[in-house]
Amino acid sequence: MNAVTDAMPQIPQLKDNRILIPSETALALNLIGRMDLLRLKAIARLHARGLPPDITWDDLLQEAFTRVLVGSRRKPPDVAMVPFLAGVMRSLRAQHWQRLCRGAASPATVRIDHPRDLSAEAALCDAASDPEQSLIAQERLDAIYGLFAGDSVVLRIIAGLAEGRSAAQIRAAMKISKTDYASARKRMRRALLREGLTCTQN
Amino acid sequence: MHTKLTIRTPEAALAQVLDALEHELVEATDEEILEAARDLGMNPMMKGSAAFLGLHYPQAMQWADFFESEELKTELLRSVNLRAETETAPKPKAQRLKRADPAERKNSIDK
Repeated sequence: MNAVTDAMPQIPQLKDNRILIPSETALALNLIGRMDLLRLKAIARLHARGLPPDITWDDLLQEAFTRVLVGSRRKPPDVAMVPFLAGVMRSLRAQHWQRLCRGAASPATVRIDHPRDLSAEAALCDAASDPEQSLIAQERLDAIYGLFAGDSVVLRIIAGLAEGRSAAQIRAAMKISKTDYASARKRMRRALLREGLTCTQN
Repeated sequence: MHTKLTIRTPEAALAQVLDALEHELVEATDEEILEAARDLGMNPMMKGSAAFLGLHYPQAMQWADFFESEELKTELLRSVNLRAETETAPKPKAQRLKRADPAERKNSIDK
């Protein structure tokens, strides 16, 4: 009996028994670099501001990684990994918001093998949204404005973005130069990254 | 001529802002990330940097992470064994403090 087990190939002992989470797996597979991981963390934390309260930013990020790793979302060859994952998170955010809109009326959950992008359906849902969801959205919007408190140029740019205006329209409405607009965007990125690299609750 | 009136719900406005700001973060350079990290006193180049918190381990630890881990079981077993050993071990005799000689006390500097 012992002779048989001795002859069998032995599975090497792992150094530790930790299970890799999807982001670590993507890192190990060189799908992304360490700086990309930080960029994606900031994006996930940003998108989490548009999620129902029961979903956290790390849920969203790991879910996006999982979908890419299991192949339910396939990256087109001409798209870089970070914008692609950002798009997956955006789509997931829309799906989670859609789930919130449906409420208890529908038992539908966000399925991992669900290839459809429901962002269009979520947008339709806005017209008939209930006051509670509007209140949540308004609070989240106010929290975003709060990140840039004291910077009137950035606040006006965000107000323009909220109205769905393009950069050129915002510049024309605010009467600011391209250079001033670019420096305001830089300040915006800095504030977003500072918030995105922490782990405090939004 | 009528002015076109656009009424946006807060949900739609929030979605617009988030999508626009996402684009900003996608375009952020490595230098900008490092600068923001430096503002927070973080060094992403360092192994185990706080900037990676929540990325290598699930951020929210569950009860199961503590109560079903082998490490906790081992630690609990070790503490139980340690307590059992200390309870069964003979108690050392308490040392009595030797009283100072009255003559010595007289010459004490406190006096």
